[in-house]
This record gives sequence, C-alpha cells and structure tokens, in this order.
Amino acid sequence: MEYMAKIAFGFYTLIILAGSILAVGAKSLVRSMVGLIATLLGVAGMYMLLNAQFMALMQILIYVGAICVLIFFAIMLTRADDGGEEAQSASVRQNLLALLAVLSVGGILGWLVLTRPLATTGVPVEVTIEKLGLGLLGTYGLAFELISVVLLVSMAGAVLLTWERRNGK
Amino acid sequence: MNAIPAELLRILIGLVAVAASVGLIGLVMVWVERKVAGHIQRRPGPFEVGPSGVLQPLCDALKLVGKQLFMPSGADPILFWLAPVLAFLPVLLLFLPLPVGDGLQALNINLGLLLILAFSGLAVLSVLLGGWASNNKYGLLGAARAVAQSVAYEIPLLLSVLAVAFVAGSLDLAEVVKGQGTWPWNWNVMTQPLAFLIYFVSALGETNRAPFDLPEAESELTAGFHTEYSGMGFGLFFLAEYANMVVVCSVATALFLGGWHGPVLPGPVWFVLKVSALMLLMVFARWTYPRVRFDQLLVINWKWLLPLAVANLLLTAFFVKLAQFA
Repeated sequence: MEYMAKIAFGFYTLIILAGSILAVGAKSLVRSMVGLIATLLGVAGMYMLLNAQFMALMQILIYVGAICVLIFFAIMLTRADDGGEEAQSASVRQNLLALLAVLSVGGILGWLVLTRPLATTGVPVEVTIEKLGLGLLGTYGLAFELISVVLLVSMAGAVLLTWERRNGK
Repeated sequence: MNAIPAELLRILIGLVAVAASVGLIGLVMVWVERKVAGHIQRRPGPFEVGPSGVLQPLCDALKLVGKQLFMPSGADPILFWLAPVLAFLPVLLLFLPLPVGDGLQALNINLGLLLILAFSGLAVLSVLLGGWASNNKYGLLGAARAVAQSVAYEIPLLLSVLAVAFVAGSLDLAEVVKGQGTWPWNWNVMTQPLAFLIYFVSALGETNRAPFDLPEAESELTAGFHTEYSGMGFGLFFLAEYANMVVVCSVATALFLGGWHGPVLPGPVWFVLKVSALMLLMVFARWTYPRVRFDQLLVINWKWLLPLAVANLLLTAFFVKLAQFA
C-alpha cells in the first residue's frame, strides 16, 4: 500500500503547486480563484492522507464551499478587469525581493528537510469527532473560546467599516 | 504485484453503479417531470414516442448529444467548459455514502453526512463559474443570485441536519438509519417534524428547484447561468440538477423517513419508494407554486427558516441532555 500513498502524495503536491502557481500568476481574477480552489482541494487531500477525514471535509465545506464563494461574490460585484495597476509587470527590484523572500523560506525549509529527515511514521490513528469535540471544549477550551472572540471582533470590525462608509456617503 | 484491495474494488463497483443509475434517473425524471407538468396544466404531456411517451427522454438525450457546442465570443474558454464538468463530477461522489439498504452502501465512511454536505457545496461554484465565464449579463445575474441564495440556504440546511445528528449521535448515515424503526412512528420525522420541514424547504433552495429557481428564472433571465450553454453543456447541468435532487431526497429519507426500514417489502425497495415519493413532491411543488421574488426568497430564509432552525437546534440539544440525565 505504501507506493499508493506515495502516488497520492505526489498527485496532491502537484495539484497544490499547480493551483498556487495559477492563483498567483493568472491574469484573470476568476482564474486565480480557480487556482486557489484547486490548492485548497489538494490540501484537503493531504489531510485525507494523514487520516484526518474530519479536517479534510471541513476544509472543503468551509474553504471551498463558503469562503471561495464569498470571494467570488466580491470579484463579481467589483467587476475588476485585468487592466489595473496590479496587472502591470513588477519592477526588477520587486522581483529580486520576491526571489529573496522565496529563497529564504524555501531554503530554510529545504535545508531542514534534507539534513533532518524524518523516519516514515506508520499510518496515523484517526481521531474521532468525539475526541475532537471533547478536546476543543475541554482541554483546549480557553484557546477555542479565544479564537471565537477573534472571529467576533473581526466580524464586528467589518460591520463597523461598512457602517461608517454608509453614514459618510 | 499485490491484489487490488477490497475496499478499492467496492468503491469502483459503486462508482460504476452510480454512473449508471444517474443516467437512468435522469431519463426517468425528464419523463416524470414533463408528464406531471402536462397533467397539471390539463394537457397530456409527451405521448407520441413509445407508450405514453416513455421513449421521449431518449430522443431528447439523443438530440442534446447531437447538437453543436457553441461558445460565445469573449467567453473564458477553459472556465466555460470547466463549469458543466464541475457541476457533474461531485455528484458521483455524493452518491457513494448513501445507505440504500442494510449494508448496501458504496462507501462506508463514518462522516458520510459531512461528505455529502461538503461536496454539494461545489455545485454552486460550477453555477458561478458558468455564469461568469459566459460573458453574458443574464449569466452573470444568475450567478450573482445563485451565490446569495446558496450562502443563505446552506445555513438552515446544516442546522436542521445537525438537529437529527444530535438525536442520533452520529454523522454516519447508516447509523442514523439504524437508530430508527420499522413503522412511521419510529422515524425521526416524528421527533423532528420542524427540522424535516426546514430541511425540505432549504433543499429546494439549494438544488435551485422552483419555487426557488431564481438563478435560472426563465421569465426574467432567459435561462440564467446556463443561457449560453448548448447541447451537452446544458445537458450536464440538467443531469446534475436531477442527481442533486436524488441526493437531497435520499439524505432526507435516511435522516427523517427511516431509510431502508419498512414493513413487508425488502429494504432497498422501501428506500427507492420513499426517495421517489419525495422527488414527486418536489416536482409537484415546481408546477404548483409560482416563483418567489428574490427579496421574498431571502426574507423566507433569514427571517423564518434560520431563527426556526436555531430554536429547533437549541430545543433538541436541551432535550437530548435531559434524556441523558433521566
């Protein structure tokens, strides 16, 4: 079965890479979003490979099913075309800086992976939703509540921003 | 070479069976829908081809396959053709965890319900992509409506399903069915009538069926998101709609109507009978109720379905806890 897991890993990696390149490189915003969706689906596949089915399905339900649809809504309402200033090709300095950023992160990660290889672990044990629920509301209850407060604050902030604009006209 | 794992074979057989049944269901539903529409409007419906017109869908399908595929100028070619495929592909996956009979399930996964909910969200993406990529104002308007509608109707749908999951204590469809009994008064619909009603109305909204078929309202938007699709491009959207109907009706059957349970007849027969009855109800609803206005659609959802679903969920949680202490 191990070779099948490797094939699946390669397949998902390919989807994630291709999707993210499309998401950053595409001229049309909607095509970028399709790339983003592909990436998110690939990540869901990776969760599946880690035997975290609940995480994988939640990833699809929330990120692909809800968040991407909302992003799409924003794109459609603003009707952004591909002639904006973001569509211009970047200057040499910007490109160099971007390359530096990629190389520093990628270099460190690559160095870590190459020098400290992790022995292949066995098939991960599936965490049931009961355990997940008990963990979220018991052991990690405080962190869980804090995250919900953060979400609430951001939601209130979004409402406040639109409220002010509507009053100010 | 090792032998192919049994689980993989099971999924493969399941996929083939699903693909075959989706095609068959599509053909049967086209006939049923046209016949019901005809009789409701006091005309016979199709009856020239075959006895009572049963072969009419075959002719329709042949016509659709034979038609030339057009793409409007200025459309995004990749996204335009991706959309109908994306509409149809997840459907094959949605059928896998449905428990048709005791042990008769293509994919036995303990999060089956979640799998269906997650992948049915892809349907609205295909509508969006199709509407946007057509480069057509009607398509875009249909897509914009589809977003607002599906975002709204997904919430009460999830909440009503959650109420049943509370009672059953599982997200596994087969487990939920096993928790119910043979007779109608042992079914979840008796303990959760409100959830069933909310689920059914939201399901009509989620599958873009009349009276909530705003994204393709013919009288205002020509055909909405699929205005520019011809031949099998349209055919795939159409097939996906019927397949989605079957999925939501099957989930309703499993969650609320006791699934394969029933007296005398074998389980799968009962399952198919219950799903067909719900499908027929959906078809009747389409031809008897006028289409709602868009603001009415949103008012129904946000002011009625959502508060009712939340109240139902809270009450259910309260009684489930009470039952645990008693």
